[in-house]
Amino acid sequence: MSVLLLRLAAPLQSWGTSSRFTRRTTDRAPSKSGIIGLLAAAAGRRRTDSIEDLATLRFGVRLDQPGHVERDFHTARPIDGSAPLPLSYRFYLADAVFLAVVEGEEQFLTTLHEALRRPVFPLYLGRRSCPPSGPLTLGVRNQTLEDALAGTPWQASPRIQQKHRAATVTLDTAVDAPLGEQAQDVSYLVQDEPVTFAPEHRQHAWRTVIAGQVTLPNPDYMPTSAVGDHDPMALFGAS
Amino acid sequence: MFFTRFEFNPARRGAKHLLASPHRLHAAVLAAFPGEHSPVTKDGGRVLWRLDHPAHRALLYIVSPAQPDLTHLVEEAGWPTTHTWDTRDYTPLLGRLAATDTYAFRLTANPTFSRAQPEGRGKRLGHVTVNQQLGWFLARTERHGFTIPPVAADGEKEPDATILSRTVHKFTRHGRTVTLATATYGGTLEVTDPDALCAALTRGIGPAKGYGCGLLTLAPAT
Repeated sequence: MSVLLLRLAAPLQSWGTSSRFTRRTTDRAPSKSGIIGLLAAAAGRRRTDSIEDLATLRFGVRLDQPGHVERDFHTARPIDGSAPLPLSYRFYLADAVFLAVVEGEEQFLTTLHEALRRPVFPLYLGRRSCPPSGPLTLGVRNQTLEDALAGTPWQASPRIQQKHRAATVTLDTAVDAPLGEQAQDVSYLVQDEPVTFAPEHRQHAWRTVIAGQVTLPNPDYMPTSAVGDHDPMALFGAS
Repeated sequence: MFFTRFEFNPARRGAKHLLASPHRLHAAVLAAFPGEHSPVTKDGGRVLWRLDHPAHRALLYIVSPAQPDLTHLVEEAGWPTTHTWDTRDYTPLLGRLAATDTYAFRLTANPTFSRAQPEGRGKRLGHVTVNQQLGWFLARTERHGFTIPPVAADGEKEPDATILSRTVHKFTRHGRTVTLATATYGGTLEVTDPDALCAALTRGIGPAKGYGCGLLTLAPAT
């Protein structure tokens, strides 16, 4: 099995899986439908085109830099001001970085990698107003999804890495349950398995996600004796 | 010389009042020495102090030529019945320092540089970036009688010294605002010149010694 690695970084991202009506929420991690839609847009597929081959890819994500949630009170209205649109709350993830991994056939992933480098439609992270910063794709590797999540270096921004004082960092992951495996107690259901993006009858199926953690080395860790407790009294001996 | 440690009770109003301003804390430290008008004595030793904040505590270290009496601090801002202060004779320890000894160190300093002015003397300005502040410290190790031995990080050798925290203090003194950029350094040092290191330990390093800067403390190397 091969994997295609994506680094999702942007000032704002938004990954809704359960938004209804005027409250447009975001999850703390990218959704599978969002990533499949991103790949489909890069490949130039229209919303009514089939996405069956994309939906068979196994998907996992690592929360390299969780970011924080921002709320936008949205008061947009038509330019002539005639029919007021409903006021809405839109939620965004600010300053977050994720590693998204899709697992599948190498040939297919290579074409997707090329498509991401020359996308047909504009790419965005969950919402049209959230363009990615920096290159999206980290390339195709010959490994499994779990190995990719545990072996790819920490992708957080340099400032976050420098602020992290420990030698290792522990990151949350959310991975598709392998086919045929029974639900575990660390798994949960998300309705973001895309069936079709066609605007008239958009459909999402339920997907079983396994929550996990991986521990990675911190590339900016500097070993020093200075961080521990400093006790000048220890030199004087017992009183 | 004497080395003293005092712990504040941060929940007390007197402690909050003193910890809020290096100006007030300086006055409280000097009030521990009777009849002491000039903080500098004939042999060059002087009163130095530093405030450390390990794990939400507030520890005051004082190095002084005379033995301090911190009763007023304990009554106002400490634990009067259980926990007073701890003073040790510093002289034997200073005499024991020898070349090639290694110690863990900590220093809070006010790294500054001078910018030339059209007239008069230069204007003293604070270093504010990590690189400037660390460079300021590493440029002064030799003259104070020690070096920072290198430590391997990712195959590259770097000096075993780091900046643990940086703060810009602003406080009022006689109605005017004093601004001090301070950096706390930590790491390992190796003694090269015991006499010069003794001088640094008792006379301090860099400016703003009245405001809790310049006191170098040693601890057993880990």
